[in-house]
Amino acid sequence: MAILEVNNLKAYYVTHTFGRSSTVRAVDGVSFQVNKNEIYGIAGESGCGKSTLLKAISGLVKPPLQILDGEVGYNFDDERLDILSLRDDRKRRKLRGARISLIPQGSMSVLNPVRRVRKAFEDVIYAHLDVSEKEFEELVSRHLLALGLDWTVMHTYPHQLSGGMRQRITIALSTILRPDIIFADEPTTALDVVVQRGVVQLIKKIKEEQQNTLIMVTHDMSIHANLCDRLAVMYAGEIVEEGDVQSIFSAPKHPYTTMLLDSLPKVGDSSARVSAPGAPPSLVDPPEGCRFHPRCPHVMERCRVESPVLNGLGNGHRVACFLQEGGK
Amino acid sequence: MKNGKLLAVDNLTKVFTKGQGLVKSKIEAVSKVSFDLELDRPEILTLAGESGSGKSTVAKLILGFETPTTGSILYKGEPIANLKGKKDFMRAVQPIFQNPFETFNPLKKVQSYFHETERNFTQTSPGQYPLTEKSLQLVGLTSAEIKDKYPSEMSGGQLQRASIARALITNPSLLIADEPVSMIDASLRMSVVNLFKTLKEEAQVSIIYITHDLATAYYISDRIAIMLRGQFVELGSVKKVLDNPLHPYSQLLKTSVPAPDPRDRWTEDIALSDLETKEYTRKGCKFAGRCPKVFDLCHEQEPDHHAVDDRLVKCHLYA
Ligand SMILES: Nc1ncnc2c1ncn2[C@@H]1O[C@H](COP(=O)(O)OP(=O)(O)OP(=O)(O)O)[C@@H](O)[C@H]1O
Ligand SMILES: Nc1ncnc2c1ncn2[C@@H]1O[C@H](COP(=O)(O)OP(=O)(O)OP(=O)(O)O)[C@@H](O)[C@H]1O
Ligand SMILES: [Mg+2]
Ligand SMILES: [Mg+2]
Repeated sequence: MAILEVNNLKAYYVTHTFGRSSTVRAVDGVSFQVNKNEIYGIAGESGCGKSTLLKAISGLVKPPLQILDGEVGYNFDDERLDILSLRDDRKRRKLRGARISLIPQGSMSVLNPVRRVRKAFEDVIYAHLDVSEKEFEELVSRHLLALGLDWTVMHTYPHQLSGGMRQRITIALSTILRPDIIFADEPTTALDVVVQRGVVQLIKKIKEEQQNTLIMVTHDMSIHANLCDRLAVMYAGEIVEEGDVQSIFSAPKHPYTTMLLDSLPKVGDSSARVSAPGAPPSLVDPPEGCRFHPRCPHVMERCRVESPVLNGLGNGHRVACFLQEGGK
Repeated sequence: MKNGKLLAVDNLTKVFTKGQGLVKSKIEAVSKVSFDLELDRPEILTLAGESGSGKSTVAKLILGFETPTTGSILYKGEPIANLKGKKDFMRAVQPIFQNPFETFNPLKKVQSYFHETERNFTQTSPGQYPLTEKSLQLVGLTSAEIKDKYPSEMSGGQLQRASIARALITNPSLLIADEPVSMIDASLRMSVVNLFKTLKEEAQVSIIYITHDLATAYYISDRIAIMLRGQFVELGSVKKVLDNPLHPYSQLLKTSVPAPDPRDRWTEDIALSDLETKEYTRKGCKFAGRCPKVFDLCHEQEPDHHAVDDRLVKCHLYA
């Protein structure tokens, strides 16, 4: 059963400066479902709207971000909720933290630089649980230990910690209440590969123990390969391909996915590599037709004027590309 | 120039105190680190290794933002302590900071950093910012894209590219790039590292490239230093060290590089590191608690740097 259903979601940044308004179409008509207990990955280029998508579906919508259209439904065991229609801010906050939790990108921004780490844990726990100080300490130290962190971090200020430590602390913070759904925005980006491997190991362990659903955003395709069941690839505000992780890696259908998979060198390979052509488009004024067409090696006439929709190819693989419609 | 070095780092140590009261502990965030960069031979030196091993601290010490506890750093023969804050030094040695979300003040428009840098360090006419435009182009941005934007209005990768571009305005001779591509995806990452290569080859810029991405390190750098808990555990040519790592930590690091292939997942669990402070204060070798090849001596005595196969390895196995 789908625990999360996102339907035609449009989330734009609308700003007004000097009487001119500008609209960034960061999430532009995105639909997907996530099944209970699965690890669902979201990949894609810098600035394509991944973080915005997570903000929108976790209900962290404040100006200039606006929801223009769409639904975000959660099917919990005991209730069904459309988070975007929850008018009450308190209810949304309650939902976040306890049932859904977001590990934001750039972990420093959640840890307040002038407060000790302990305060952050107190905030989260006392807002949702009625526990004594002793219970608080037990709960936290047990959880920290499982993440390879020690109680002394509770007394430190964020600036005293390395990037990797801060990241593990944010993961600790966002999983301590055993949420049903965890959204993780680039949780391994700041870490060395050994610690990355430890974090992936840890996320898997937390997931097994707590039986929750994980939505994992990162541009690091190797992490997706290691962790996810299914994967969505975003480009310029849209999902261009989705499928189970095996078939995306072994037989990518969208030219952008292919480019993502082909562009990185490997250790042991220093042969000169050209960079992929072009840069991602502006979301203020995205290209007509297929948004990838200016960089696409297979571009056809049609791609410049019509935008392809995400079509099923069977076995749960979906792709938005005219090449798949026999247009070759 | 005296001793012909662009940068000479000798026996550098930085001690930090963490926590307070009873849980206070002292760590050597950088411990007896030495290396040189030649003046007449531009080089890309990668610092890789553990999160929290002191890479950013080395960077801050070189930039003069932190003061060494012991040891010395000379830039063109002159101690950093005498140079820091001076305009020439700030122009010649440019930082790219680790977390772009922290680099930029949230209340200041991104563009203003560019204009300040260009005004302060170059000779362009007032109100004109040709170098801003040019350096933005090098990283795939345009001034239209940063115009009027506050940092919170840009994505992580966009900010990171902006901070690289800012550092290039002054035409530096040494770039200290702390995780410059961590938030940049595959297709743009290659264009940034190719840019670094070009800067080295064509503009004689030396680069200290701090990264967790061993693939790009292999691709662009000449030498690599693997850091663990404040120490250089292995230092040598990038090909030697990554093709055939000798230190057991370097070996673990290499085998942990994830493969972009779902059929080749990490299967074995690894031992999570001990507490950061505990490993930092461990006597003997810092890796002894996790090392598969550990023996008695490792718990007792700190290993020396041994010269093996054109590199330095800090491990008793090579004594
Ligand atoms: N507050 C804001 N106001 C205006 N535009 C914004 C704002 N926040 C983000 N944007 C823009 O929205 C687009 C999507 O940004 P988002 O942070 O979702 O990207 P992302 O896919 O997470 O990128 P990255 O991988 O670099 O983190 C970008 O073009 C960004 O500049
Ligand atoms: N101002 C400070 N006060 C106390 N401790 C500090 C301070 N700055 C850094 N440290 C500590 O020094 C050690 C090294 O930190 P540093 O940031 O240099 O590591 P790093 O190798 O850059 O890590 P990462 O890969 O996570 O960025 C860490 O244990 C960190 O917590
Ligand atoms: Mg993001
Ligand atoms: Mg660092």
